[in-house]
Amino acid sequence: MIAAIALLALGTFLLRLLPWRGGAALPARQAGPALVVALLAVATVSPPAGISWLIAALSLGGVYLAMRAFGNPGVAVLCGMGLYALLAALLGV
Amino acid sequence: MNAHANTAGRAAWLAGLAAAWPVALGYLPVAVAFGALGVASGLSPWLVQLISLTVFAGASQFAFAGLIAQGTSPLLAAAVALALNVRHAFYGPALRPYLRGGPLAAFVLTDEVFAVALQTLPKLPQRARSGYLVGLGLGAYAAWNTGTALGAFSAEGLAALPYVSKGLSFALPALFLLLALPYLSRPIPLAAGTAALALHLAGHTAWGLLAAGLIGLIGGRR
Repeated sequence: MIAAIALLALGTFLLRLLPWRGGAALPARQAGPALVVALLAVATVSPPAGISWLIAALSLGGVYLAMRAFGNPGVAVLCGMGLYALLAALLGV
Repeated sequence: MNAHANTAGRAAWLAGLAAAWPVALGYLPVAVAFGALGVASGLSPWLVQLISLTVFAGASQFAFAGLIAQGTSPLLAAAVALALNVRHAFYGPALRPYLRGGPLAAFVLTDEVFAVALQTLPKLPQRARSGYLVGLGLGAYAAWNTGTALGAFSAEGLAALPYVSKGLSFALPALFLLLALPYLSRPIPLAAGTAALALHLAGHTAWGLLAAGLIGLIGGRR
């Protein structure tokens, strides 16, 4: 586990530092966005399909609207968490 | 002369620290959620804190803990999380016209720190830029690690509050939605997300994420 954390820490640090210092060409421009969208998909729903998918979808809508309204990621995340907890309580999930 | 330079450097550092509060406000709840999720994934609170202290990259930390919770091997989880951080490689070159990065500035260069720095550095005199960026980054770093500690070391108490733990479990999708918003209209990330979702629903989450990374790599070269 420690080796995996060290790999992640060192790799992240070098990804931030080396291109800044050296200006290496990086062709993988879509890899980060592709993984971000993929992580959104796998983090939001899990099988089997059910009412929890609807709660998650509505809560994501709430996050989007809160981001539009307040322009602060922290507030938007808090609003989404609160809406998700409220809907889960109301629907008994 | 040196005293004047030191005073100016300290002022720039403090200005950066003061500018960190919106980022810190955003980080705290997400970091609390990461701390609680990390412990729920089977990691000890000290390991969860170690991740935040050494990695300082929120989305990849969530991905790492989430994959560990699903039984993925730690090295594969680290590789997937690291692939997620490839986007960080573009931040330094974007800031290079204003500042040549040092190790400390690079260590704190998260998505949000980069976004604030890109707007602010061009307006600052050259001598103030490095101190400002480090102050900004360290403010964000302090908030991230404070939140992680709160979540990791009070995880049992949080889990005992059923709807608080429900709400915390949604921090990850909420964070990823905000990070994904700029990419949801692009075909390659959408194709990658669809492939990852299909494999995830079939029970192969880690393979789905690897497939998404490959789609991004191959698609980005065309």
